[in-house]
Amino acid sequence: MLQFSKFFAVRAMLAILTLVMVSFIVFTLMELVPADCAERYVAFKNSQGSVITPEDIQVERVRLGLDQPYIQRWGSWIFNAFQGEFGDSCILRVDIAQLLGQKFWLSLGLCLSALLLAYLIAIPVGIIAATSKNAVLNNSLRLVSYLGLALPNFLLALMIMLFSTVYFGDSLTGLFSKEYRDAAWSTDRVMDFLGHAWLPIFILGWSATAFAIQTVRALMSDEIGKLYVTAASARGVSGSRLLMRYPARHALSPIINSVGFDLNRIFNELPIVALILTLTEAGSLLIEALARSNDQQLAGAIIFMLTASIVALNFVTDIILALTDPRIRKSIVG
Amino acid sequence: MTRLLDVENLTLDFDTDEGRITAVDDVSFSLEAGEIMGLVGESGSGKSVTAKALMKLNASNAIYGQNTKISLNLADGPVDIMSLRTAQELQIVRGGAISMIFQEPMASFAPAITIGAQMVEQLLIHTSMSALKAQEVSIEMLNRVGISDASTRFKQYAFELSGGMRQRAMIAMALSTNPKLLIADEPTTALDVTIQAQVIDLMKDLVKDFGMGIVFITHDLGVIAQTADTVAVMYLGRVVEKGPVRQVIGNPSHPYTQGLIKALPRLDDLDSPLTPIPGDIPSPLERPNGCVFNTRCSQFLGSQCSGEIPKFTPISHDHMVACHIYQQDQKGT
Repeated sequence: MLQFSKFFAVRAMLAILTLVMVSFIVFTLMELVPADCAERYVAFKNSQGSVITPEDIQVERVRLGLDQPYIQRWGSWIFNAFQGEFGDSCILRVDIAQLLGQKFWLSLGLCLSALLLAYLIAIPVGIIAATSKNAVLNNSLRLVSYLGLALPNFLLALMIMLFSTVYFGDSLTGLFSKEYRDAAWSTDRVMDFLGHAWLPIFILGWSATAFAIQTVRALMSDEIGKLYVTAASARGVSGSRLLMRYPARHALSPIINSVGFDLNRIFNELPIVALILTLTEAGSLLIEALARSNDQQLAGAIIFMLTASIVALNFVTDIILALTDPRIRKSIVG
Repeated sequence: MTRLLDVENLTLDFDTDEGRITAVDDVSFSLEAGEIMGLVGESGSGKSVTAKALMKLNASNAIYGQNTKISLNLADGPVDIMSLRTAQELQIVRGGAISMIFQEPMASFAPAITIGAQMVEQLLIHTSMSALKAQEVSIEMLNRVGISDASTRFKQYAFELSGGMRQRAMIAMALSTNPKLLIADEPTTALDVTIQAQVIDLMKDLVKDFGMGIVFITHDLGVIAQTADTVAVMYLGRVVEKGPVRQVIGNPSHPYTQGLIKALPRLDDLDSPLTPIPGDIPSPLERPNGCVFNTRCSQFLGSQCSGEIPKFTPISHDHMVACHIYQQDQKGT
């Protein structure tokens, strides 16, 4: 037990270290954007009609602490980031934590639901694909799965929206109906959210599912070919008992391992899907910050939060692996 | 004495993308209870496929020849192995009356299931024991094969044991259901020489105690000389020579067997050169006509060898060889 807490602590330290390094990369990228926050804000003011002098920019720089050395600024940024504080947005001049707030959790919820959906489908389908000798079944599964890989999510989203608009007069956009968009959370609002959320979840999960099916199928085929499976059937173990207890049980560890990567893949899709479905969550804020307003503070905060989710998920899967796989458990506990 | 196992005309093809491959061609042998039969040959000679056929354990693309007949004579009557179809029926030859141990003890235990759980599982499938009783029997078997602290080992995983220990555990598991026939597929190849000797001694003792037959597959003639009573030498899916082990090794008659023995290093004469058999075993897609060995044979006789499959000729009592050289002798005299 002591060794396990030690493993837990070490693994958590590693996760934090990873985050610190990621934050350095994110922070550096934010710095690489031409012009800093002060100039950008002032330029924005300029375009609004106010007359701004270089002195104003300098004053703004000092106010934002941009005159301090790079490493020091990174230090205070990461220190605050770990407490969920990302300062003010460059352009909007509001607290980023407040701005992101529940939008981030909505996005994370969408992505995790998509991930869950992907594996709920992929695990049984992948196992069937790996074990079935039925050529028709196998080929149709392969076709669907290739379609999933080949058809970009945004195109699928557009097709569904077009279809829905033409036949139902509803473009299926957004996460809430008008009347609930800014309302406080209530049972009705949750129901309304769920009524809208299935489409982004489905679209986000689309290629992840196809990919996960391929992963599960490959891992299962790999395990099925191993000697211990032959040895077990030589001992008289057969049927679904053989399948579930031997190859499926042993393919589970690498499948758990792959979950973290898939969350990454889903995050990559998030901004595009958000854009097309005109969602009002973190993905659309990211697009806004990155592509439209060049708001590096906001973009950095979102990227950092998304990365932190992946690191956290990887941490969780590592702990699950350590608990479920004796090979890993024994190497920790001894 | 009735024979334990009769294999007649075992022929086995595999249906592959590149075409039909003949892995075993018209192999016959038999085995008595308490007898150890060695099955010797290079990789690709079909010895493992032959052994797996006894459990019908070959991949699903295997096609058995129509004249293939494998019968296992048990106390309550013979079992026609070829006619077994369902998983239920096959259980008798899979872990029931026949057990198999494999070359890689590490790979043949499931890595994430304890050794004990795998042993108990097998006992529950094949006997009417309670789980508790099965656990007792398993620990007793582990003890019997010389594993110290058996009740601790019972709860461990294969990767926590040493190589020799793992193979002992594998043997314990194979014998726990009290099989009449044990198939050992290169059981010592992956082990150190010292451990190898221990495992061989253990197997010989167990045969005596349990009175079962063993089919011992190896490419190592030295191991066969120590272990087996009879031996069958296989090349490219055919048995080329068979008989009592001392006669076959003392008086190897098939050019292939002679070649195998000449290729062995000799400890008593370190200066004598090793004589490898020239060439490689041909691809199963290009099986030679006639005698399968004719492409590498040092005593190639011509069209006879490349056109006609040699029949078995007795060299002495029970010692048979399939080679045209001896058929010619017979015709001549």
